[in-house]
Amino acid sequence: MQRTKPDREGQARIPRRHVLRSAAWMAGAVATGAGSWVIPARRSFGAAPIKVGIATDLTGAIGIAGNSDLNVAKMCADLINKSGGLLGRPIELHVEDTASNEGIAVGNVRRLIQRDRVDVVLGGITSSMRNAIKGPIVERGHTLYIYPQLYEGGECEKFIYCTGPTPAQQCDDLIPWLVQNSGKRFAFPSANYIWPHRLNQYARNLVQKHGGEVVFEEYYPLDQIDYGATVNRIMTNNVEVVFNTVIPPGVGPFFKQLYEAGFLKRGGRLCCVYYDENDLNINAPQEIEGLASCLDYFRALDKTEPDSAKIQAEYQAMFPDTKYLFAAGSAATGMYRGMMLWAEAVKAAGKLDRDSVAAALDHASIAVAPGGPAEMVPGKRHCRMRMYIAVAKNGSFDIVDQSKGLVDPREC
Amino acid sequence: MLTDTGRMRDRMDTAVNAVFEILSFSAIMVLIVVGLGVVASMMGIFNFAHGEFVLLGAYFTYLFNSHGVAVWLAMLLAPLAVALIGLVVEALVIRRFYARPLAAMLGTYALGLVIRESVRGLLGGLYYNVPAPLTGSVSIGGVSFAQWRLAIILITAAVILASGVLLTRTTFGLRVRAALENPALARASGISTKTVYAVTFTFGVALAGLAGALVVPIFSLFADLGLRFLIQAFLAVMLGGIGTFAGPIVGAGVIGTLSAALPWVISPVVAEVLVFLIAIALMKLLPSGIIRGRTA
Repeated sequence: MQRTKPDREGQARIPRRHVLRSAAWMAGAVATGAGSWVIPARRSFGAAPIKVGIATDLTGAIGIAGNSDLNVAKMCADLINKSGGLLGRPIELHVEDTASNEGIAVGNVRRLIQRDRVDVVLGGITSSMRNAIKGPIVERGHTLYIYPQLYEGGECEKFIYCTGPTPAQQCDDLIPWLVQNSGKRFAFPSANYIWPHRLNQYARNLVQKHGGEVVFEEYYPLDQIDYGATVNRIMTNNVEVVFNTVIPPGVGPFFKQLYEAGFLKRGGRLCCVYYDENDLNINAPQEIEGLASCLDYFRALDKTEPDSAKIQAEYQAMFPDTKYLFAAGSAATGMYRGMMLWAEAVKAAGKLDRDSVAAALDHASIAVAPGGPAEMVPGKRHCRMRMYIAVAKNGSFDIVDQSKGLVDPREC
Repeated sequence: MLTDTGRMRDRMDTAVNAVFEILSFSAIMVLIVVGLGVVASMMGIFNFAHGEFVLLGAYFTYLFNSHGVAVWLAMLLAPLAVALIGLVVEALVIRRFYARPLAAMLGTYALGLVIRESVRGLLGGLYYNVPAPLTGSVSIGGVSFAQWRLAIILITAAVILASGVLLTRTTFGLRVRAALENPALARASGISTKTVYAVTFTFGVALAGLAGALVVPIFSLFADLGLRFLIQAFLAVMLGGIGTFAGPIVGAGVIGTLSAALPWVISPVVAEVLVFLIAIALMKLLPSGIIRGRTA
């Protein structure tokens, strides 16, 4: 059977000159590094600027988080420069897109180190991204690295400082609260990657320690979006608390199916520790009513914490129409702590070499940060901070409990 | 402690629930694949942008609904909007690929990328919830079914029936099949194959839009919604067989059933791999598809 139409003569041929022209254009773009840029400091400073590298996911699947991280970095740089800079010098941001893609990221991050010779790098959101870029930054690049996102813990390499919450910080208060307020029968439905595995291990111990039990712990492919079997298991086993680590896109349909099966109606509690204000749109409000989260900052705090309210207001003022929220789950709060703790460390050290700044950063503390003060735990390279338990009510978070003082990360 | 009859009833409920969930997911799979199948079978083009037309259907539903249009009306308007885009895209891009199926794959893939990233920009990378026209649930025995999922099963059946009748029982269908079987003879008989191809592609794309509009309340709106189904949809078309209307639909039914049923009995991570293994084994056993179409 003859179905192919005759080829129109010449249409398929691409003139060699065109190829050459686009190749030259491409080469030019690669050589000059299109996609990276510098946010220069104001010219009022006489001294040469200090270079801060920001490597975060501005495009791709988690661009939403990366862009709010960059916004926060810009805001912090602005605050630091307005108050006189560091060591009499302004700071200047050098930005590279890690593009939600580890392969692309490594090359781009190398540019920060080799071409721009930055004094510190902040960024990376997923653990796989951190693992991909830490080598080029710390080992081969001999540069300080600050990782801002909540994560599974266990990053104990020298010169890597973590400013986001760890499993201990997210679970130590939350699990007893859940057992007390929601019930003893837990289910751990989870996405199949390292963060849920490690977090569940930590949470399971706590659940058992407080007299609860984990009815089942199950892992799903990252893109699974049908949870009929899981919902049935939750319903027939009389699970009272769903401690969820399924991530988008699966989490929306999963919560919806649970709601439709009547899990909330019979008094069940959803819990998801990465849920912040960004995630409240995924479901209709009634489908996640009562969902508990535990993070270092929620918008609801602005009513009671003047410092948090001020930071949020500064962010709104600097980025009035942004769709990228200043929220804890996207590492924005960790980025704030990272920038400010590093700035304190530079001031204390009085110089910029890696060893001196690292030594000062090891015990740095700041009084003002989203959610309250924060301090590094000496020798541990992780950060003590306040933690809050919030519950979704009609589409927004209400604070229901908060830690007594700063919570220890219990890492390294 | 449960009595024996109580335990029996629980088991019955679970079975009924499982059947419903599996049927519901298979229906969604079929709905998404039918447009892809029409274009692949009737035109010999593997439309790699199919998932993005599903996404556009979902996006327009959200857009209309957020501007105050009732959601059921938005779901009817969305496929029309997607069809318009499809018509333009056919004239600008797809038409140039009919003679080159391989280039068509790359071309439509690029097209899909453009659509997906544009929508991601419009959504700002966020997720949006779209309400379903029916929100309650129906209880049968001890099991409750979501009304909207039930409705999707019925709508899918109606869409398949209507499309099937259109393509096999009407003059239009005859022309489409004639243009497919022997374009030269069709042209000689006074059928404008150019128009027929344009209409067929637009029809396939409108079906994708309809699928997107109907499933968005279940999965919520996000930029990778269509991409999520792409691989499974292609597997369905390959498995069902190209060249007939029924082939891809049967393939989608099989893939949908496997993906929804396996997690009830084995670990979900293993289940995902097993779906592909079973599909590949089936393709080896039935090289021309479950429904034997034309042979190339």
